Amino acid sequence: MKMKHYYILPLLLLWTSAIFANGIKPGAQDVKVTATVSKNVVGTGEVFEISFSVNGNIESFNPPALNGFQVVGGPNQSSSYSSINGNTTSSMSVSYDLVAVKEGEFVIGPAIVGVNGKQIKSNAVKVKVVKGRAVPQGNQGNAAPQRDQVADGNSTDISKRLFLRAIANKTNVYIGEQFSVSYKLYTNIDLVDNALDKLPDFNGFWSQEIKNNNPNVQWEIESYNGVKYHVATLKQIILFPERFGKLTLDPLAMTFVVRQAAPSNDPIEQFFGGSYKDTKYKIKSTPITINVKPLPEAGKPEGFNGAVGNFSIGANLDKTSVKANEALNYALKITGSGNLKLLKAPELTLPADIEKYDPKVNDNINESMTGVSGSREYSYLLIPRHEGNYTIEPLKFSYFNPSTGKYVTLSTGSFAVKVAKGDPGSNVTAYAAGGQQDVKMLAKDIAYIRTGNSGLTRDGEGFYGSALYYVLLCTGPVLFLAAFGYRKWHRENNRDIVKVRGRNANKVAAKHLANAGKQLLGGDKKAFYEDVYRGMYGYLSDKLNISAADLNKDNIRDQLKARAVNESLIDQLTETLDLCEMARYAPITSISEQEVFDKAKAIINDIENNA
Amino acid sequence: MHNRLNHFFYSFILLVISPLFLCAKENPEASFAKGNSQYAKAQYKEAAQSYEEVLNDGYKSADVYFNLGNAYYKMGEMAPAILYYEKAYKLTPGDQEINLNLQLANLKIADKIDAVPEFFLAKWWKSFVLFFSVQALSVFAAILLLLGFALLIVYLFAELMIIKKPAFYAGICLIVLGLLSVFIGNLQNSYLHNSTQAIVFNGTVNVKSGPDEKGKTLFVIHEGTKVTIKQNDDNWIKVELPNGNIGWIESVAVKEI
Repeated sequence: MKMKHYYILPLLLLWTSAIFANGIKPGAQDVKVTATVSKNVVGTGEVFEISFSVNGNIESFNPPALNGFQVVGGPNQSSSYSSINGNTTSSMSVSYDLVAVKEGEFVIGPAIVGVNGKQIKSNAVKVKVVKGRAVPQGNQGNAAPQRDQVADGNSTDISKRLFLRAIANKTNVYIGEQFSVSYKLYTNIDLVDNALDKLPDFNGFWSQEIKNNNPNVQWEIESYNGVKYHVATLKQIILFPERFGKLTLDPLAMTFVVRQAAPSNDPIEQFFGGSYKDTKYKIKSTPITINVKPLPEAGKPEGFNGAVGNFSIGANLDKTSVKANEALNYALKITGSGNLKLLKAPELTLPADIEKYDPKVNDNINESMTGVSGSREYSYLLIPRHEGNYTIEPLKFSYFNPSTGKYVTLSTGSFAVKVAKGDPGSNVTAYAAGGQQDVKMLAKDIAYIRTGNSGLTRDGEGFYGSALYYVLLCTGPVLFLAAFGYRKWHRENNRDIVKVRGRNANKVAAKHLANAGKQLLGGDKKAFYEDVYRGMYGYLSDKLNISAADLNKDNIRDQLKARAVNESLIDQLTETLDLCEMARYAPITSISEQEVFDKAKAIINDIENNA
Repeated sequence: MHNRLNHFFYSFILLVISPLFLCAKENPEASFAKGNSQYAKAQYKEAAQSYEEVLNDGYKSADVYFNLGNAYYKMGEMAPAILYYEKAYKLTPGDQEINLNLQLANLKIADKIDAVPEFFLAKWWKSFVLFFSVQALSVFAAILLLLGFALLIVYLFAELMIIKKPAFYAGICLIVLGLLSVFIGNLQNSYLHNSTQAIVFNGTVNVKSGPDEKGKTLFVIHEGTKVTIKQNDDNWIKVELPNGNIGWIESVAVKEI
């Protein structure tokens, strides 16, 4: 279809020219193509014109190779018709503006022009180039690339004439270390249109694009692999690796529409600037592999939270003496270059009674090809709740410096804050009723070891189950049973009153005659009788409840009779008492002391048992 | 001849007497104290060795097991830590710190096994039975019974009613309490020692349907999990998990508490 349309125009033209040819006196015989130059001798850098003129209609035009010259204008065409007395003559010309680049003599070869169906060669033209002013090699800052400014690449392969390059300034970095990647377009071909297909994802990186305020693409001429290209920087990005390993940057993909000259037989097309072909190309940049190293574990400071770069810190406190419940501002400024935007707010350790609010972050950060740099300021609002003298401990900030491969820990100064007693009632909003707070549980850890008495026992030596345990368990019941048995026996024993009396009487007699017994053993007779006498009197005094002074034989007899003690026993008693009385003054031989003692004892026992 | 006798004599001393002294050389109390000071200096490995010396000498106590468990916990070895905490628990089941550390250690192992929920009365009864250690209960029992019977003896012989009556009631109460202590001590002892439990020491253990390598794998348990041994069969044991699952594993994979 397209081809058909393509040929309609030349056919029409042929047809009209045939009409003309019929009406016009044929001058075909003297159709001539003349090549002329405006100057035969030119200086380098001087613009001159070469024109090919034909006295007829140009059907096709094949320009000669213009080696050694730069085309700065053209092809320009002009035509003229003149009709004199019915004779119509027409002439057409094609001209180029050229600039000589090199000195020397050049022959511009013949152009081949199709006229009236014939291919006619023009004459060759000699041009001598002498040294002139320097040739400007391409105009810097030109908005659009001019294909003719750049020398034709000797390769027709499109990949050598149009490609994208991703250039990283470092390929071996630490986690968090910044590096920049620029995507550049290299071309020495005419571009008609372009469209961005896919931006790289930068998986595994935190990216920060360097913003370009100029909306126009800046073209530069750059030599790459010995060939000159127009180069435009499309994107510049600063990347911060977030994990280690071999990470690959995805390619940037773009689609270009390339206009290429295409040989054509259509003279009109040739005439109107030559034939061309628009072709779409999808171009991808080459992927780059970045080797990301983990941060060394050795020497990692406590509280390190991923800052990589080169930083300095400063802190200041706006007031050093306030009243309780008044606000203080503590500002921490981190300045330097590195992953500033990824920094976590450093943990500010404060005395327990100073309340801290989340910091306000204020960034002043620039991105450039050298990296992200600037400052970040954390401002903490602090409110002391009680009066007292407090110290805000130095804040430690540590970062990893990738250029030295070492960790650096910076510390701010400490601040002393004097808090005066606050205005009454000013803490109403601060606390809930009662002003009490729960004790916060910070972490869970196992209970500490036991350090006291170890309570060691040998295996199988525990008290439980040991012989001692069972013995002790049994002791209680056994003792109780024994006690119970004893009580029972005791009660049995004491049930018979006569027996008990007898037992007791013996005891009573023994008690009263104890001294007499001693004297008997000592052999002192006088004292013996004295003691028997006294013992019996003492017993009777106790027994009859009569005081020893009032006691005499008569009332003893009366009392004992009243107690139903039989006569013979009373007689025995009085006998013995008389005997003892007598023995005080005269020795007694009729009876031995032992017999007296036993008799006295028997008498007491008998009285005890009978009365 | 004389020389030879001498020779025998010295050999005898060397062979028979000196080992006795060697055994006695490292006082277990000293080893325990050494372990404690090493633990305080965060030398957990050395501390564990010192505590194990105490155990190897044939001594034991809840504190040694507890401290040894702590040393293993700090080294990050949860299986032995749990094993020794469990041993300490068996000696003093009512100790809050042992229970706390055991819980923390159990949070760090791979398997989370929810025990079959107990009826609250059973739970109360269990915590009541386990509140005092069996040693403490046996001491209570002995003292209570002795005092109780002593009071009854006082009752037998007291003349005054004001002594007799309270002595009788107090004595009966003490005897009841003493008998209760004996009873609870026996209950606790049988609860803790009648079922054999073990801690898994191998990283991963396949629990089979029977005592056979080729048997079907029912489920997989990991290091630090406590199992109850139900049955022994050669190198295989039948285990039950706290959630009621039962299967067979090789006996080398576990250590008995």
